[in-house]
Amino acid sequence: MDRVSAHLPEAVAERYLDRAGGAWAVIHAQHLPKVAAYLKNDPELGFKLFLSIDAVDRLQLADNDPRFEVVYFLYSLSRNEHVRLKVRVTEANPQVPSLVPLYKGANWWERLTFDFYGIQFVGHPDLRRILLYDEFQGHPLRKDYALRDRQPLIPERPIKDIFRGPGTSGLS
Amino acid sequence: MSDPSKQPEALNPDTDAYAHESELETHLQTKRMYINMGPSHPAMHGTVRMKVELDGETIVKADPEIGFLHRGFQKSCENVTWTQCLPYTDRLNYNSAMMNNFGFLNAVEKLIGLEIPERAQYIRVIASELHRMHDHLTCVGATALELGGFAPFLYAIEGRELLMDRVTELTGARLTTSYGRVGGLNRDLPEGWIPKTIKSLDKIQDLMVEVKGLLMANRIFVDRMKGTGLLSAEDAIDFGFTGPCLRAAGVDYDVRKAKPYWVYGQLDFDVPVGEHGDNYDRYIMRLEELEQSDRIIRQALQKLPGGPIIVDDWRIALPPKPEVYGTIEGVMSHFKLVMEGIPVPPGEVYDSTEAANGELGWYLVSDGRGRPYKVHVRAPGFPILSAIPQIIEGKMLADLIPTFDMINMIGGEVEQ
Amino acid sequence: MSENDTKKPTGDAQPPPPGAPTNSPAAKIGPEPSNPPAGAKADNPPVAHSSTTPPKPPAPAGGPPKPPPPKNPGFVTCTIDGREAVVKPGTNMIAAADSVGVEIPYYCYHPRLSIAANCRICLIEASNAPKLVPACQTPLAEGQVIKTTTPKVKEQQRAVMEFLLLNHPVDCAICDQAGECKLQDYYMKYDYRPSRLEGGKVLKHKRKVLGPQVVLDQERCILCTRCVRFMNEVPQEPQLGVFGRGSHERIDVFPGSELSSNYSLNTVDICPVGALLNRDFRFRARAWFLSATPSVCTGCSRGCNIYTDWMSQDTYRYRPRENEEINKSWMCDQGRLSYKYLNLNRVLSASVGRRATQPPNVVRPEITRAEAAKAAASQLQPLAGTTQLAVLASPLLSNEDLLAGLSFAKGTLGVKEVYVGGRPQGAADHYLMTEDKNPNRKGLELIAKGLGLTLKAFEELTPALKSGKVKALVALGTEVPGDAEAFAQAAASTEVFVALAINESPLSAQATVLLPASAHVEDDGSFVQKDGIVQRFRKAYPSKGDTAPTWRWVAEISKVMGGAAAWSSAREVFRELAAQVPELASFHWEQATPPDRERPGINPLPTGADGRPPGYREFGTPRVRGI
Repeated sequence: MDRVSAHLPEAVAERYLDRAGGAWAVIHAQHLPKVAAYLKNDPELGFKLFLSIDAVDRLQLADNDPRFEVVYFLYSLSRNEHVRLKVRVTEANPQVPSLVPLYKGANWWERLTFDFYGIQFVGHPDLRRILLYDEFQGHPLRKDYALRDRQPLIPERPIKDIFRGPGTSGLS
Repeated sequence: MSDPSKQPEALNPDTDAYAHESELETHLQTKRMYINMGPSHPAMHGTVRMKVELDGETIVKADPEIGFLHRGFQKSCENVTWTQCLPYTDRLNYNSAMMNNFGFLNAVEKLIGLEIPERAQYIRVIASELHRMHDHLTCVGATALELGGFAPFLYAIEGRELLMDRVTELTGARLTTSYGRVGGLNRDLPEGWIPKTIKSLDKIQDLMVEVKGLLMANRIFVDRMKGTGLLSAEDAIDFGFTGPCLRAAGVDYDVRKAKPYWVYGQLDFDVPVGEHGDNYDRYIMRLEELEQSDRIIRQALQKLPGGPIIVDDWRIALPPKPEVYGTIEGVMSHFKLVMEGIPVPPGEVYDSTEAANGELGWYLVSDGRGRPYKVHVRAPGFPILSAIPQIIEGKMLADLIPTFDMINMIGGEVEQ
Repeated sequence: MSENDTKKPTGDAQPPPPGAPTNSPAAKIGPEPSNPPAGAKADNPPVAHSSTTPPKPPAPAGGPPKPPPPKNPGFVTCTIDGREAVVKPGTNMIAAADSVGVEIPYYCYHPRLSIAANCRICLIEASNAPKLVPACQTPLAEGQVIKTTTPKVKEQQRAVMEFLLLNHPVDCAICDQAGECKLQDYYMKYDYRPSRLEGGKVLKHKRKVLGPQVVLDQERCILCTRCVRFMNEVPQEPQLGVFGRGSHERIDVFPGSELSSNYSLNTVDICPVGALLNRDFRFRARAWFLSATPSVCTGCSRGCNIYTDWMSQDTYRYRPRENEEINKSWMCDQGRLSYKYLNLNRVLSASVGRRATQPPNVVRPEITRAEAAKAAASQLQPLAGTTQLAVLASPLLSNEDLLAGLSFAKGTLGVKEVYVGGRPQGAADHYLMTEDKNPNRKGLELIAKGLGLTLKAFEELTPALKSGKVKALVALGTEVPGDAEAFAQAAASTEVFVALAINESPLSAQATVLLPASAHVEDDGSFVQKDGIVQRFRKAYPSKGDTAPTWRWVAEISKVMGGAAAWSSAREVFRELAAQVPELASFHWEQATPPDRERPGINPLPTGADGRPPGYREFGTPRVRGI
């Protein structure tokens, strides 16, 4: 991460080293492709193995503005190092540049993050839901999405046992 | 076809002899065909629906549609205590449930900053490798079955059953083990388990000789495996392959070696690396890893130290039952741990272990309240499955089956 | 010692407790105040020439060292675990530490009670004391450095916990306090060691009935004496005392007396362990299954702020919620037990036709809400605008219900005067409880005035019914202040009697159309307390059965009768109608809403309105009862 902040000082907002020794940095959204390209293509860094993307809805944490945090996990085979990039986006404008042109593996992970959190990846070739069905309303991993909210495609029979379900909770 | 009313001189293919002759020269005119493979298809492991566009037998476009097994893993985990997440992790890769258990626990322990007792580390290694063998046996057997060989499947499944029996003795469950707790394990090895396990391993070695004999020189099997499902090392890295599929492409990356966890650093084993990145190499990787797992288990069983199997800290591990029933301290600790969960300090961690199919990564965020704030699982099968269109487009439909088998996609973990 | 009542719970603006030592250096402000740092609040502005005055040279060696000048004049500046705290002189260390986010454990300390310093778990290390000092009793000194996490402190906390647990019974499984018990919380935080006790525990009285409301388990008691101090200082009814010596010490009532105060259940709230138990709530629910919603007590016109603890669609108890202006941290027993009408004897379905004249076992056809509203409207339609129609309004209803109901009475029914129902007057006591047992009489008066309606006493209604002057009655709430039986007899002679009732009563049996109404915990709304303070309460759980809020019934009836009432929530009712009442117009409904959780994820928990199983706890740690 030292190299990144030296090379692209404008991109890095904060840098951390967590208890378990993982290095991570908060990147400004507009600089994300640049940072990722640098990490991937610099011969000494070589963060080529794309592990995954996910997001965190910070709604119930103390510091929750901006609300979403998109987290990228990269691994360098040559350096044997994991690195985490974070991009913070607001609820009103959850847009992050897509990394699909850089990493093919980002494709499905971005779809997954879009599916669960509604993060828009600008420049993604085919941004649609991946695990849930297209008719699904809302984004289930947002903290304000109720745990027991149900959106059945086929209507369910109401069942009185609200603790065990299935079916509507029995409440209006 | 041309409109006869506009072109009266046009040849009538049914009556005109010349037409027959010219048709012999041209290719058979076929339409593109769209077929659905799955979600209920014997060769689609789990429940994946593959929308395939076929030109003859060549796949022009493949679009895997997943999510039929989606269970809301993350959302469920966010609403239960850390310990209660364990049964959910069983259902991720149901062929190697204990590896998911331990991977999750390892990440939680990292977040707490906890070192587990050595005996627990050894047992975790042993159990993980048992389940790695279990996973690979299933994969190899199922591949053989789907390529038409029923006998190797039976041999492999017999070996798997032996492992399952051992796992049952160890954990009390065949499939969904929920073995292990934060800070260690929930129970010790049962009596007489070690010799039984060694016997089972011997038996599996015999069985593998049979399987190899049936498959390695089998023309049909080898022809369908060799050269199919090719993916270059560069692409594999770009897609985020890990595990046997990445190593088959010639990239030497194994979390057990790269960042040794538990006692893997003290054990002697090799990581096989392939060179072509085709299905046959993946198959060889799995056979080879079976041998290596066998080695690891034998070593670990030999070195297995005595001692406790779980940390002695009442903020993390449940107190022993006599204490719970007999002292107020014990009952309080038990009550708080069960009702509110382990007070994991606020923070976040990314941690990975080598599961049967590759790097199983966990990104956990805690807000310090006894329940996970966020549980992200990097299922190894997910990026591998995402490469299927790239691998298979332009290839034959028949290649899809071995490819799909050898990437060993597990619906549970991919679809969370 | 009643001046303790006025103490604020937070540390910053707290006057020194009476009897607290004031000889700390901070108490005497030096003659040469230095410049306060920018932004610091100063009671007395620095003297104009203070910046030029050189600081006094240190005292000559041999004499006692002079205290250093205060950093912020008028305030005490000290360091707590490396964080700088600026507090008023005389603030104790617990409050000061709390203001900078450092937690010091305590059992016996309570910001509204005198200080006993007998639990000893708040002992901490202070720079000017050789031994550990009790944080609750020690006022801060200028420049003091306080450490709360040193090994010495931790060992002390552990030792105190071990002592407290030594004779504590193994009761968590059957204890009502489990889940909100300070012993449990602090054990996990500060002790987490196995027991070293060999041999038996001291046995005491396990079920000592102290009074009509409270039962004491002396074995669980840690003798913090919060309850004794509370009874002495707040209601000033000294009924409890500490008896015995050593490990046989116990809390008890004085011989021949009982804990009969109207404030006795507050001792249950402030009991940090499960020793004092509410006889009403005992063994009825486990604390971690209950959800808490901020609400207002409807027991009298004081309007004490409360939490409604509920599960599924039942209220299990009220607990006082802090409000400096009204009830501090307390409430009376009578109000606390007034929740029962929310659960029992409810009217749960609409019916048409007088029940009183029908045989008791007849199966009544079920009718929907829409049909019931239509029936009510068709019966009222011919009489609208005539003097034969009377409206009875209950001061038990929320402002929103009354705004909707009275607007309907005025606009659609065309009445000019409204009879006031409600619960009968009762006795007041010396502290919180008032005579008027209706929570919203003030609101009813304000709304009637704002709408230009005359309020008439209930006593005038019975003769009017008997004489036949009034042939149709609309009752918004069936509580009556007079003889309910007699009034029901009178109501039997009406031709049309539309009643919106919460509970079954002789009166509701006489209704020609009976509409089930929601209670206040089943909807959002507001009450006007007797001093004119408007207070919002939140919806806890969805309405039981077929019940609906009064404003919704009114909207439906008036829609059938050709009125324009398109409200879909209590908030909309308030927004549309409150402008006509000057006292309510300035009330900001949304902003006054008490937060459903004090902090994200911390109890009281959110309601189950989002589809979770009601009462199911998904987040957070259980609340620690009291403060």
